[in-house]
Amino acid sequence: MARIRLKDLRSLSVAVVHPPDANGQTILDQLGRIGCRTDHIWPPEKGLASKVDVVFAGVFFDSQEQMKAMLRRAEKPAPAIIAVIDYENPAMLELVLELGAVAVTSKPVRSFGIMTNMVVARDCQQRQIDLQQKMAKLEKKLAGQKIIAKAKSILMEMHGFSEAAAFETIRKQAMSKRTSIEDMAQAIINANELLSGKPVDV
Amino acid sequence: MASSKAPVTIGFLYSRTGVTSVIEVAQRQGALLAVQEINAEGGLLGEELRVADSNPQSNPHLFKSEAARLLDDGVDALFGCYMSSTRKAVLPEVEARQSLLFYPTLYEGFEYVEGCIYSGAAPNQNARMLADYLVETYEPRYFFVGSNYIFPYESNRIMRDLLSNRGAEVVDEVYIPLSSTREEIDRVIDRIRAAGPVTVFSNVVGQGAVDFYRAYDAAGFDRTVRPIASLTFGEPESLAAGLDASVGNVKAAPYFSVLRTPANARFVAAYRALFGPDQPISAEVEAAYIQVRMFAEAVRRVDGTSRRDLLKALPTFSFEAPQGPVRVDAVNHHTYLWPRVGLVDGKGEFEVVRETSAPEAPEPYLVEHDDPVSFAKAKGGGR
Repeated sequence: MARIRLKDLRSLSVAVVHPPDANGQTILDQLGRIGCRTDHIWPPEKGLASKVDVVFAGVFFDSQEQMKAMLRRAEKPAPAIIAVIDYENPAMLELVLELGAVAVTSKPVRSFGIMTNMVVARDCQQRQIDLQQKMAKLEKKLAGQKIIAKAKSILMEMHGFSEAAAFETIRKQAMSKRTSIEDMAQAIINANELLSGKPVDV
Repeated sequence: MASSKAPVTIGFLYSRTGVTSVIEVAQRQGALLAVQEINAEGGLLGEELRVADSNPQSNPHLFKSEAARLLDDGVDALFGCYMSSTRKAVLPEVEARQSLLFYPTLYEGFEYVEGCIYSGAAPNQNARMLADYLVETYEPRYFFVGSNYIFPYESNRIMRDLLSNRGAEVVDEVYIPLSSTREEIDRVIDRIRAAGPVTVFSNVVGQGAVDFYRAYDAAGFDRTVRPIASLTFGEPESLAAGLDASVGNVKAAPYFSVLRTPANARFVAAYRALFGPDQPISAEVEAAYIQVRMFAEAVRRVDGTSRRDLLKALPTFSFEAPQGPVRVDAVNHHTYLWPRVGLVDGKGEFEVVRETSAPEAPEPYLVEHDDPVSFAKAKGGGR
């Protein structure tokens, strides 16, 4: 079961990018009650301070471009964005999606719901980051497999090896050179290209 | 017999100054006419119907504070708001006090607040018929211009879908501030000129719209082939812009003052007797009038002003409005209305060039305005 640790919530750095009106104040007050480190920013600035975990972003037609530019320049890992909206029209929802929001708070803002939204938004954002990292790893792995397959086929063709023997050769070479199987396979492909004098597509 | 609930007092939220004062002054007069008629008929619950007035100056902050003041003074319901930003500012006050707002203006849709009764057109009740008429009549290339707030953005988004479904193209889309300068309007005119032959769809509202229509006229575009079409520029705005700037332009709305219904003849005569013979009357004015009349009818039926009872009673009767019989929808609190398209003729009067044969059901959440279901409903003439 997922556990909420309030200490994690309190250690969050939150930016509230919203005009200083009653809605903005409700968010700031509630963040104060929870005990988050909070910055109030309006209008959107050129960049975002480093290590902001959550951004409450007021969505308006006339400040959308500045808001987008500001969030684009945020450091990685990107903050979880909670859009603060006053209309439920598709025209406005398009802006919400454009900002990459993972949660939404509707106006008039109530203090109830701010914390829930932060927890859900953070969780959602963390899952996205985890998935992206996992995907990057898998992509790398997949590319490695292609390289190994190519190197195996080179060895099988050149030396009449079986597939198992070709793989075993690559693995042993990699071990003795203290490198990865993928790198060794790439070295075999490079050497083969050099010797045969023609580039080989991987 | 006076009831213990009398006197009934209604609060007005109509600006008499600010960017949208031209139309809001006229809406206020429409509401005042209804109050006068109700009192001439003996008032409400045995006493005179009273009005608590305000002037929120086209400013959302003032709309909010004036709504709070009127509600705290004990009004039984609020009437008014033109721009969506002002309605949005007022509704939390209304809901916090479990009261009612009667909103008499067309808007962009996608809203339901329990205590709000919407009697202006939802997009399915004006934009769809306008799109049909435009593509059958004018240049197939469109230029969108709007004021910089929610209604123009959403209205343009909807119209873009409707036109694209009909094979027409939108070549440009620009926005100007609500309080626009001469230079900002001139820049729009330059871009229209640069765009080549286009029909203009304008969601500019208030004084900016009057200035824009005049500038479009001064630029010399031939409005018999490339008019300005809108959902908002009606009789009061045309009068303010002048005859030269108005002829040939198109508006879609459920009501035009030229309608030949007996109810409208009575309405127009009474309005002009009260406020002056040349007073322009538009759909927003008629909606302001019918909302007070429908409220009064509901109060009589439930013998009181409790929000719960009124919300229950309002959808149960049809009101013989100047535009035709209308009624409130029980589920979405919007109003069944009569879509029409009007064209300004050589005398500056709107001529109705297209109209529905039955009131159309309001569909404020109709995301796809031309999906098969909507088409079938439109063909069936409302449901």
